[in-house]
Amino acid sequence: MTTAAMKRRTPTLTVGAILVGLVVLLAVMSFLWTPHDPTRVDAAVRLLGPTGDYLFGTDKFGRDLVSQIMVGARTTLYVGVVAVGVAAVIGTPLGILAAMGPRWLGEFVMRVNDLVLAFPALLLAIMFGAVFGASTLTAMIAIGIATVPSFARIARSGTLQVMSTEYVLAARAAGRSRFAIAHRHVLPNVAGLLIVQSSVSFAIAVLAEAALSFLGFGTRPPTPSWGRMLQESQELLAVQPRLAIVPGIAIAIAVLGFNLLGDGLRDRLDPRLAGRR
Amino acid sequence: MRVFGATLVLAMLVSACSAGSSVSVPADPDAISIGFAAEPANLDFTRTDGAAIPQALLYNVYEGLVKLDADGRVVPLLAREWTVSEDRRTYDFQLRPDVTFSNGQPFTAQDVKFSVERVKTAWTISLKSKMDVVDRVDVVGPLHARVVLKRPSNNWLFDMTTRVGAMFSPSGVADLANTPVGTGPYTFATRKRGDSIVLRANPSYWGRRPAYTTVYLKYYKDPTALNNALLSNGIDVISSITTPDSIGQFEADTRFTVLQGTTNAEVTLSFNNAKAPLNDKRVRQALTYAIDRKAVMATVSAGRGTQIGSMVPPTDPWYEDLSGVHPHDPARAKALLAEAGLRNISLRLRVANLPYAVSAAQVVASQLADVGVNVSIEPLDFPAVWLKQVFTDHDFDMSIVQHVEARDIVTFGNPKYYWGYDSPKVRELLTQADVGTPEKQVQAMKEIARTIADDAAADWLFLFPNVIAAKTKVTGLSRNQVSESFDLTGLGRR
Repeated sequence: MTTAAMKRRTPTLTVGAILVGLVVLLAVMSFLWTPHDPTRVDAAVRLLGPTGDYLFGTDKFGRDLVSQIMVGARTTLYVGVVAVGVAAVIGTPLGILAAMGPRWLGEFVMRVNDLVLAFPALLLAIMFGAVFGASTLTAMIAIGIATVPSFARIARSGTLQVMSTEYVLAARAAGRSRFAIAHRHVLPNVAGLLIVQSSVSFAIAVLAEAALSFLGFGTRPPTPSWGRMLQESQELLAVQPRLAIVPGIAIAIAVLGFNLLGDGLRDRLDPRLAGRR
Repeated sequence: MRVFGATLVLAMLVSACSAGSSVSVPADPDAISIGFAAEPANLDFTRTDGAAIPQALLYNVYEGLVKLDADGRVVPLLAREWTVSEDRRTYDFQLRPDVTFSNGQPFTAQDVKFSVERVKTAWTISLKSKMDVVDRVDVVGPLHARVVLKRPSNNWLFDMTTRVGAMFSPSGVADLANTPVGTGPYTFATRKRGDSIVLRANPSYWGRRPAYTTVYLKYYKDPTALNNALLSNGIDVISSITTPDSIGQFEADTRFTVLQGTTNAEVTLSFNNAKAPLNDKRVRQALTYAIDRKAVMATVSAGRGTQIGSMVPPTDPWYEDLSGVHPHDPARAKALLAEAGLRNISLRLRVANLPYAVSAAQVVASQLADVGVNVSIEPLDFPAVWLKQVFTDHDFDMSIVQHVEARDIVTFGNPKYYWGYDSPKVRELLTQADVGTPEKQVQAMKEIARTIADDAAADWLFLFPNVIAAKTKVTGLSRNQVSESFDLTGLGRR
C-alpha cells in the first residue's frame, strides 16, 4: 500500500468531524428543546442517579445534567468561535503585514508577537477577569488575544512562501499593488493553513474556557458551562463521581474532536503535503 | 500550545489529589493531628487579620483573664474571680497565683495592664477598637488588676474572651509573628509554612496537663484532600467539614465519630438597604418571602445547619427562633412587589467567589426568578475584589457571605456598614444593651433581633453547621464552635 493510499484511509478527519458535529448538534438542539430547565433549582430532586427522566441524573441543585451539557455546548462553541475569531482577525493581517511590509516593521511586529506569546493565556485571562470582572466575554477576548501570535506566525510564514513564487514575482513585475497581491494571491494560499490553525486553536480555547470556569474566572453562574460543572462536582468527587465524569467526557469529546478535525484538515489542505497526495 | 493544554488538565487533576499537608502522622499515642482548611499567614494576631491565627493559638498557647466555654458562657481563666462595681464601670480581677509565661516570666497584674493597654497602642487589626471603651488599668496588687471603663459595657467582658483579651508578657512580644509566648497549656514548637504547626505541652502549665503532649495542626487548602487525610489515616480529626455532602461517608464508617453543632457563621443574603429599590422595606420583605431558605440549606449544605431568621446563633443568650417571621410565600412576595410598584426588576447579586456563596447565589437567583425578579450573579474574587467593591464601595444590590464574627448583630447599629441599615431604634437598643444589666441586655438584644428581622434588613439563609469528624478514640471535642479558638484543652482519648 502506498503512503498516499494510507493517508486517504486515515479516519482522522471523519472522526473529528463526527465529534465536532455531535457538539454542534447538542448546542443547536438546546435552542429548541432541553429535557428540563438547566438552571431551575429544585431541592426535592437533588443528586438523583441516572433515571428515565434524568438520563445522567441531577446535580446538587437538582438540575438535570443532560440539559446542562446541552446548553453548556453553546457556551463552549460560543467561546471557541469568538476567541478564534479575535485571534484570526487580528493575527492574520499582522502576519501578512510582517511578511510584505518593510523589514523593520516586520521585525517589530514579530518581536511584539513573541512578547505576547511569552505570556501564558490563562494568566492573561485571569488578569482580565480580575480587572474587568469575570465573564464569558472577558475570558473569550483574553484567550483570543493570547492566540493572536500563532495566527500571525502562520500567516507570516505562509505569506513569505507565497511571495517567493513565480506568479507573485510576475504580478509584482506587472506593477500590481501590494494590497492587490495580498488579496488576490496571498490570502487564498494561506487560507488552508489558517483553517487548520483555527481548528487546533478552537480546541485550546474550549479547554481554556473550561479551566477558567473551573477556577471561577469564566462563565458566570447560572449559565451552564462544562468547566463550572466540573468545579461544582469537585467536593462530591468521592460520593458522586458521575457529576465529574459527565462534563469531563463532554470536554474531552470537544477537544479531541477539534484536534482531530485540525489534523485531518491539515492532511488535506497543507500545501507542503499536497505533493504527496 | 497543545502540550500546554494537556499539561493544564493534568495539573488540574493532580492538584485535586495532592493539595495540602504532607507530614505523616507518627504512631505516638501522645500525639494528635488535627486538619484545618485555612492556614495562618503568620502567628501574630495583633497585627494580622484572619480567623486562623486565634483558632490555633487562643486558649491553647495564649490565655486571657476569661474564656468562652462551649455553651457560650464567660468563665474564669487567668482570673480566679472578678467583681463589678455598682456603676458597672470598674472590674476587679483576682488573678491566679503560680502562673508563668512559657519564657519563665511570672504572670502578674502588671502583665494585665501591659496587655490591655498594648491593644490600643501596638495592635493594628480593626478589632483593636474593642478596647476603646477602657479608660485605664490599675495595678492594685501583684495579683489584683482593676480595669476602669469609660462607660458600662457588657460587650467588653465578652470581648475579653476573644483574641483582644489575650495576655502577653513584656518580655515576650519581640517576635510575635514567629515566636508566640503565652501562659497556655501548649507552647509553640515549629511551623512549616503551607503545611503544619506543631504545639507541645507546656511542662510548667498552671492547670490540668493536656492529654496529648504533641499536637499537629495540619492545613489542607482543598476540602477533598482534607477529607482524604482523615480517611487515609493522615490526621485524627477534621476541625470542620466545609463540604456537607461529603459527611455521609464518615457517618457510615465505624472508625469515625461525627459531631454536628453550631457556629457563629450566618450565611447572609445582604441587601443594600441604602439604595433603591432595596431601600424599600416592602421590596426586601418580598425577596425574603420569595426565598425558600430550607431549600437553600438543602442544596448548599445538604440540609445541615440551623434556620435562624435573624443575626443571632443559638449559642447567644438572646437567641430566639425567628425563622418564621417571613415564611416562604411566593404569592405574598409578588403582591408586595406589585404594591411597591415594581415589575420585572433586575438586581445584581455580587457574591464572594467561594463555593458556598456561588452555590447559594444560584438557588436564590432561581427562586427570585419565580416571582419575576431577574438576578444577575457576579462572583467577585475574595477577599480582595469583594472587600473593595461590595464591602468598602457599597457597589451592589445583594451579596452573599458568611458573617463569622461572634455577636456581629452589632453591625446593624452602624449605618456606614456595607448593608447601609440605618435605624435609630436599633442604635438606641444597642446602647441600652451594652450599658444595662445582663437581664436588660438580653431583653434589648432580643428586640434588636426581632426588629431587623421584621425590617428584612437582610435575609439570613441559614447558620452554617459545625461538623467535626474524628477517630472514635478522640474524646472531648466540643460540638459547637462559638469562640475564636479551636480549644485543645478538653481533648482526651479512650
